[in-house]
Amino acid sequence: MREQLQKTNNQHPMIQVKNLSVVYGHQTILSHVSFDVKHGEIAAVIGPNGSGKTTLIRAILGLIPFDGEILIDGQLPSHVRSHVGYVPQRFRFDPDFPITVREYLDLSKTHVHKYEYAHKLKEVGLETSILHKPLGSLSGGQLQRVLIAQATIDHPTLLILDEPSTGIDIVGEEQFYELLKSQRDQHGTTVILVSHDIAVVSNVVDQVICVNKRLVCFGPPRQALTQEKLSELYGKKDASLYSHHHHN
Amino acid sequence: MELLEFLQYPFMQRALVAGILLGVLLATLGVFVTLRRMAFFGEGIAHASLAGIAIGILTGFSPLPVAMIWAVILALLIFTLEQKTKLPIDTVIGIFFTSAMALGVVLMNFTSGYQPELLSFLFGSILSVSISDLWTIAISTIVILIWLISSRRQLTFLSLSEEQAIVSGIPVRLQTAILYVALSVATVLGVKILGIILVSALLIIPPAISRLHAKSFRSHMILAVLFSEIIIILGLALSFFYDLPSGAVIVLVGAFLFLLSLLFSH
Repeated sequence: MREQLQKTNNQHPMIQVKNLSVVYGHQTILSHVSFDVKHGEIAAVIGPNGSGKTTLIRAILGLIPFDGEILIDGQLPSHVRSHVGYVPQRFRFDPDFPITVREYLDLSKTHVHKYEYAHKLKEVGLETSILHKPLGSLSGGQLQRVLIAQATIDHPTLLILDEPSTGIDIVGEEQFYELLKSQRDQHGTTVILVSHDIAVVSNVVDQVICVNKRLVCFGPPRQALTQEKLSELYGKKDASLYSHHHHN
Repeated sequence: MELLEFLQYPFMQRALVAGILLGVLLATLGVFVTLRRMAFFGEGIAHASLAGIAIGILTGFSPLPVAMIWAVILALLIFTLEQKTKLPIDTVIGIFFTSAMALGVVLMNFTSGYQPELLSFLFGSILSVSISDLWTIAISTIVILIWLISSRRQLTFLSLSEEQAIVSGIPVRLQTAILYVALSVATVLGVKILGIILVSALLIIPPAISRLHAKSFRSHMILAVLFSEIIIILGLALSFFYDLPSGAVIVLVGAFLFLLSLLFSH
């Protein structure tokens, strides 16, 4: 299946979103959003709080009902789930659930060799001694790193991360973006991440997807993130702040 | 040895084999039941099985297989309603539990005379395990355990985070439906020894004791089965020596072990 996905690389964009709308009751969360992300690209979804970023991610993952069309490598999201890695914004679980980090990593789809754990943990900045700790005993930053390790351990063709650097310090953040790049370069993984930090994102990603209930801008950061579009995205008052960061 | 005297009686041998099989089955299922906070499911299905038992007695069929089929139908109805409506699962179970039990009481009214079989189903009886019951228990246990072992990764992921499990491509609906069916079958099988009123204790108490000590999922599962077997064997032996209802004694042994564990776990 993975080979099939890779063979079709040139036939379809990795993600095709066409005319996507999400409505809860009478409230429109997203309206007529369309964009494509190519294979091997890193794309960031940006926008103010409550703009529909997480809703967009959840729609791509097929977790919520929507109008419009979403295809992953030409297929419905539900058909290619086993090739998607996902790191949620908040991982809701019972902290008393008796499971070690090793056991959690073992939940990944393929059998993982012992040496791969050490390599993967090193990649996300963790020591191998953490393998025997209960998952519920980890700090927020440690848990976030373990989630990233779990999502990438069997090299998914598509990696989706919702505010992945939450709880990770600045040094760790750099390491994290390096990990994303190496996933892309070594395994051809397409990455979609939700972020608040336009400055960092601009240096890392190939495409930005700006949403505020609708698609405000889309394209390479330097072309898409104009002063005008940032004003439209965040409102005039906040845009200068984001713009300042962007040019730093 | 006087202590092992009870093993000489064929009915006791059958009860013990049934108990050991059910101990493994109910404890392993109970681990997922307690982690998913579904303790009420076992309670509900056990009580609802009264109607199935009544149908079996009234129609002259063996009550256990009839009750099993009845419980599986109810489990699938609960699953469907849970998926199709916005009602919480405990509300759905509550509706079926009380309605089916009420139907069982009404149906029992149509049976004439004293019903010793009914009493044994209500409170459990070590005398009631027949050879055919033993075969039903053994085959069902093997089938469910094969599914549990082959699906353990999916079930663990599902219990930890349903959303993450969906995204990982796990067939969440299918596995949940199978879990409900397996639970309903195991609960009805447990009714033979523990009775309708008390069977859910074996789904809850051994995993609860285990959780007080376990540091990993693997140890949680092993300890739950171990405690379950200790509780059943000790309970059956005590009920034999003191001529007490097996279900009640097994549950009291479990409660005592739970209290002991509480004291030693801190």
